[in-house]
Amino acid sequence: MKKIITHPPEAPVGKRYWRSLDEYSHTDEFKEWLSREFPQGAAEFTGDDVSRRNFIKLMGASVALAGIGLSGCRRPRTEIIPFTKTPEFQIPGKPLSYATSIPRRNGALPLLVTTYDGRPTKAEGNYTFPGLNGSTDQIAQASVLSVYDPDRSKGFVLDGKVITEDAFNIFLEDFKKRFSQGNGLAILLDESNSPTRARLIAQLASLWPKAIIYSYDPVTFGRNKEKADAIAYGANQSSVPLYDNAKIIVSLDFDFLGFVDGTPTSVSRYSKSRRITSPEDSMSRLYAVEHRYTLAGGMADHRLRLPSSQIPAFTALLATELTKQGLNVGANCDQFAQFAQPDDFKQKWIQELAADLINHKGQSLVVAGPNQPVETHLMVAAINSALGALGKTLVTRKNETPSYSSIVDLANAIKSNSIQSLLILGGNPVYNAPADLGWSNLQRQVAETIHLSFDFNETSKLSKLHIPAATYLESWGDALAEDGTYLNIQPLILPLFDGLSQIQLVERLLGLPGLVAPDAVKETFKQIAKPSDFETAWNRFIHSGFLENSTAKTSGSSAQLNAINQSLAKPGVSFVALGSQDLELVIEADYSVEDGSWANNGWLQELPDPITKITWGNAALVSANTAKALGLKSYTEKGIDYGEFLRISVGGNDVQIPIQIAPGHADNSISLFLGYGRKLAGRVGGVESHQVGFDVYPLRTTNAASIILQPAIQKMGGVFGHAITQQHWAMEGRALFRENTIEGFKEDPLSAKKMGVDAHVPPNISIYQSPPLTAKQQWAMTIDLNSCVGCNACMIACQAENNIPIVGAEQVKNGREMHWIRIDRYFAGPQGSEEQNDIENPEMVMQPVACLHCENAPCEVVCPVNATVHSEDGLNVMAYNRCIGTRYCANNCPYKVRRFNFFDYNKRPIQDHQLYLGPMATKSEQDTELYKFQQNPNVTVRMRGVMEKCTYCVQRIEEAKIDQLIKAKDSSPAIIPDGSLKSACQQVCPAEAITFGDMNDESSNVSRNLKDPRSYALLSYLNTRPRTSHMMRLRNPNPKMPDAAKVGLISIEKNDSDHDDHTLNPELPAGEQKHEAASPAHGQSKSH
Amino acid sequence: MATDSTIHQTVASPMPSTGVMDREPLVTNHRTYSWVSNKVCGIVEGKTPLWWWISFVICAILGTATPILIAYQVSTGVGVWGLNHPVAWAWDITNFVFWIGIGHAGTLISAILYLTRQKWRTSINRAAEAMTIFAVICAGIFPAFHVGRVWMAWFLAPIPNANAIWPNFRSPLLWDVFAVSTYFTVSLLFWYTGLIPDLALLRDRAKTKIKKVAYGILAVGWRGSNRQWWHYEKAYLILAGISTPLVLSVHSIVSFDFATSVIPGWHTTIFPPYFVAGAIFGGFAMVLTIMLPFRAIYGLQDMITQKHIDNMCKIILLTGTIVGYAYIMEFFIAWYSANPFEWYTFLHSRIAAPFFKVFEILPFEWAQNLAGLGHNPAPYWWAYWLMMSFNVLSPQLFWFKYCRTNLWVIFTVVMMINAGMWFERFVIIVTSLSRDFLPSSWDYFKPTWVDVMTFVGTFGIFLALFLLFIRFLPMIAIQEVKGVLPEADPHYHPPGKEKH
Repeated sequence: MKKIITHPPEAPVGKRYWRSLDEYSHTDEFKEWLSREFPQGAAEFTGDDVSRRNFIKLMGASVALAGIGLSGCRRPRTEIIPFTKTPEFQIPGKPLSYATSIPRRNGALPLLVTTYDGRPTKAEGNYTFPGLNGSTDQIAQASVLSVYDPDRSKGFVLDGKVITEDAFNIFLEDFKKRFSQGNGLAILLDESNSPTRARLIAQLASLWPKAIIYSYDPVTFGRNKEKADAIAYGANQSSVPLYDNAKIIVSLDFDFLGFVDGTPTSVSRYSKSRRITSPEDSMSRLYAVEHRYTLAGGMADHRLRLPSSQIPAFTALLATELTKQGLNVGANCDQFAQFAQPDDFKQKWIQELAADLINHKGQSLVVAGPNQPVETHLMVAAINSALGALGKTLVTRKNETPSYSSIVDLANAIKSNSIQSLLILGGNPVYNAPADLGWSNLQRQVAETIHLSFDFNETSKLSKLHIPAATYLESWGDALAEDGTYLNIQPLILPLFDGLSQIQLVERLLGLPGLVAPDAVKETFKQIAKPSDFETAWNRFIHSGFLENSTAKTSGSSAQLNAINQSLAKPGVSFVALGSQDLELVIEADYSVEDGSWANNGWLQELPDPITKITWGNAALVSANTAKALGLKSYTEKGIDYGEFLRISVGGNDVQIPIQIAPGHADNSISLFLGYGRKLAGRVGGVESHQVGFDVYPLRTTNAASIILQPAIQKMGGVFGHAITQQHWAMEGRALFRENTIEGFKEDPLSAKKMGVDAHVPPNISIYQSPPLTAKQQWAMTIDLNSCVGCNACMIACQAENNIPIVGAEQVKNGREMHWIRIDRYFAGPQGSEEQNDIENPEMVMQPVACLHCENAPCEVVCPVNATVHSEDGLNVMAYNRCIGTRYCANNCPYKVRRFNFFDYNKRPIQDHQLYLGPMATKSEQDTELYKFQQNPNVTVRMRGVMEKCTYCVQRIEEAKIDQLIKAKDSSPAIIPDGSLKSACQQVCPAEAITFGDMNDESSNVSRNLKDPRSYALLSYLNTRPRTSHMMRLRNPNPKMPDAAKVGLISIEKNDSDHDDHTLNPELPAGEQKHEAASPAHGQSKSH
Repeated sequence: MATDSTIHQTVASPMPSTGVMDREPLVTNHRTYSWVSNKVCGIVEGKTPLWWWISFVICAILGTATPILIAYQVSTGVGVWGLNHPVAWAWDITNFVFWIGIGHAGTLISAILYLTRQKWRTSINRAAEAMTIFAVICAGIFPAFHVGRVWMAWFLAPIPNANAIWPNFRSPLLWDVFAVSTYFTVSLLFWYTGLIPDLALLRDRAKTKIKKVAYGILAVGWRGSNRQWWHYEKAYLILAGISTPLVLSVHSIVSFDFATSVIPGWHTTIFPPYFVAGAIFGGFAMVLTIMLPFRAIYGLQDMITQKHIDNMCKIILLTGTIVGYAYIMEFFIAWYSANPFEWYTFLHSRIAAPFFKVFEILPFEWAQNLAGLGHNPAPYWWAYWLMMSFNVLSPQLFWFKYCRTNLWVIFTVVMMINAGMWFERFVIIVTSLSRDFLPSSWDYFKPTWVDVMTFVGTFGIFLALFLLFIRFLPMIAIQEVKGVLPEADPHYHPPGKEKH
């Protein structure tokens, strides 16, 4: 049977080149020429009466007519081509990118996935998609690794035995027959905003009208915001904050910059509102009220730590205060007045906050986090409405995702024995269902459970039939972006182990013929896009990755105060007074492994939590005061951070988890993170006998899933050593991270260059003249600390791009993690103040540090074998083959960005001390072979004993150079235009904090940033002359706030009377005091 | 036969005297040439004592730990040691500098004391030189095998190659390679040259064929002719001249590994003299450590006299005080330079110790500040204070004659110095690296069992080689000792009836 191989046509945009004579022959001109030259039909005419083609046509028809070939009357199978038959456009060794998207809770992210020889290797943001500038998040980056997870499910499992696909087909046919009406059948879905899945599920519901469909997602389980939005703005309406339009943002227990709650879109919008290019610019002001330090809290200008359970009372007080100050909020918050017992500080805080909000009416925005009860969201809706936020800083949209019954209803249905068969599509309820449901027992009560999942997990083990799932990179699908844009999901590789996507399985249940073909998605696309020319529109959709102009329309509905007040009149939660001493638990999804579904992804396991810097596990975060009150210690001893065990009991379920003292954490509050303690995740994520982290799901109940009041707490014996990548949290007064207030910046625009040692030392004069750097383009990078939120996405992007190995928890404890770019997180108070080392309420700052590519690099001088040298275009390059591993370069690097391969991480398993067995370690193919398919063929995989570090993505520079050379031929110098080349970390950054480019080009973004007065060189007094400059962070405190005097000053020393005058070399004119990083090469321009 | 000692230009006290103001003789109890020959050769020629076998087997077994663990490290990865990301050198380079330092005493005694005509060197130089050779062998193991890919270590050699890549001549690590290999070569030649007349003596006294042939080959045809003596003396003098600057250069260059870097605590101009003084200090301590037991075992008190020990103690006192001055000056400069990074390294990574808490009782502000340091002690305070007390305080005992004569006191002090000098290198290397510029990268170094046993094994190698040395080679330079005997003076008149 002939396979029809479909390929998307060439891009309709841009210059068209013809690739071959074959393609050229399709043009009209050619056809015309052809017809002139030869008579009609001459192309087929071979001289005989019957052409070869016609002969075969006739023969084929006669065979068909003879009735033998009726079985051939099938629709043609379309297949994704295995690499043995090279697809079109494929040039071995050359990457191809396809537009697709990754489904995420807060809206799918559009991607361009790079494939090499048919293997997806790197996910990058789709830069043609408006609003995201090609950024993604850490999960999108890491998802590529999961495709090659050696522990992923590899076959159908029936009653614990692996069965063939045929046996599965027989089972499925039988299953379909048994449920003609769907009697006793329940379907449990994970959450997805795929319109195709929704459509097919609806079809399934009509095919089996008696079947009931449920959905469950552990992270969005409460759906408090959705419920509140439905009350406040009408059914199916959801509110979307537009941070870029806001001047004042108040975040109530909401980490809108962390990717569990927020999205790259939020970060992108927020960073737009903070962008500063000159001292005259203004920026937004962020107030954060939260129980623990979140990324949003770190970015805040004013931060108030408050237990999550007290935030409803805080919100009520804010609403009351706003009304008091003349802005009629209209929400009836009086009944909450009794809970508001603020101390003087909080009272003043709320007063000034309210005044600031009122002053910026129409430009202010209040947002609340998903953990907050419906009441908080309702009050926030009323406040936003009164502040005139709607339509300006907040818009409402119709929510397109259908909602299904809750898992609680399903549990009740199972208890009433009305369910005989349960079909679970995705999800892992045995692990993550609310503990009071007793899910594993419930599932055992069901006669037959069928589970489709990517890995054979805890739920699969208790199911009758397990069906392996294909990942989003292996199957057709669709999704909605955060802004409602319709996105495609297209496969880049055949399912590695014959998995089925949810859409495929539902198609099979519906009896639809689609296998790999995107028939169902095409149908949905037809319904959504209503194209006049389907093929063209579809191809365009597949090519560009999204449907243009499909962004959800804002509905412009206003807050309905009556409905809000009705709901507020009978609150569903008990309000906790401000200043209450009751203990609370706050359970949130983890920054890395989220709800635990990414637990077996090594990159994510080793990605440090952005705040605590814990890898490979979780901890109960408490404030120092609370730890003291509970009699618990967390301490650092000999390089390991230990936490004492705490036993937490809720509803008869116990969890034992070590604590970590978290600076800036609210007292009387314990933060817990989901996603760890998996019992059947795999080698990386943990198995029963060797768990990674601690499972806190047993503490969650249907009524209290995120905020749990008054848990039973008990101190346990024993300590646990966390695998932490950064142990020292104080900056020790070193002005490494520099920040100022916006007022201070206006007063002294050059303040960034006058902090710390730089205020004291005269400019460096070198007596040694380095050889000139002669290349036309000189690469440089700037990192804007004012934009960076510390989301970690760059760390994973770098890891994916540069084949950086993971080393395992044991080696992280030994201080051997390999990340080329790290994010230094410091807690500090104002310099020279008593609060400098305040552990209760410090400021938190984030500073990405990778190799700074010093022009005068200390590492280069000391390498005895010339393995690290300088390139003509200003890169500090590593010749891995030349490196013998003396590690002298790492010692002499003042920024400690060099990473040494202490073991053969790429060859040997990192578990069970296997690294220490050397040649005796198990050489399991599975452990390492599959992962190799992910690796970037343009980057050398380093062996043990070799030093490595950030290369400025030299492979991308070289590729861009080659492309440019091909374009330019001999005609002009091959200059890579600014913006066409991005480093991996720059590309992924939603805040656009990282800029990379040619600093010889006066008009490039990086040149502009280097000229920015905020740019400074880390440790410039050492005269290393780094090519990567950091840009000073600015805070925008409200001078009337009670804590205003402490904000934004961590790198500014207080003027002591006995301290030297902090002027920088008054003899020099201001222009000459600028840092030399802006000069092109080795201090002097020799390039032209 | 005896050496023709007349050509020794003896200027030392020519005659024994009963005067109380006279110098103590270098060989006591009026020992004769033949006694010296018999005594020293007897050690080599006699039956192998049981204790030797026991010690040798123990040391050899211990010594195998190093090659085995090095093989493990090479086959598995440098990660078997406790190194981490800020601390990329720890025990490896500490051990290297420690052993290289020990290797200094030998050549100093042989070369510098020779050039300065310090006659008392004669009875200790042979063993000290042997110690140098063995210490440098132990030292060489570490820089060679601490690299990640030792099979590529030949990149360090300036071999013309097709890629036209040379070693980086700017790197102090490369200077190290040249300095240490030169030092080793010259020290070996120097040692061997000095041995030749004694090897000839052993050859002539040998009773078995094998010994005759073996010592015969090693003695390279020494006949003791005037002409040979003349060449020998010149060669010895030239080698001494070459060795003398090497004594100073090797440890200066080793110190450049640190001094030329940018790391606070390393980037210090005081390092070259400070390292050389420390090396001599540590070297003499090790000479005494080895010499005292063998002196007792073999009854060599007449040749290695109390005067020798006294002199060495004085050198230890001198160099120890120089080292102490260097420690304090380093600390002073860290404060005086007003470099906050360097000051932090000294105060918060080395000095701040829990016992500072006692200052709490004093009502002054400075005392409270000090007490504050005690509450937040430096991670390696114990190493710093061990170093300070072992290296600076303990040698001060040698101001007292009693301490310079009581062998138990001396042995205790030199053992402390041995440990203290190891801690000095550990403090410099590890504490500086563990907390440098960016606090985000700070980490603590913990050695693994492989670190510990690789180091312990080098003591096995060192002692096993030394035991072999005393078993097969004369541990005291016979001909040189004879040269300082009163009889060596042409104008000497033997007292009493004892015949020459």
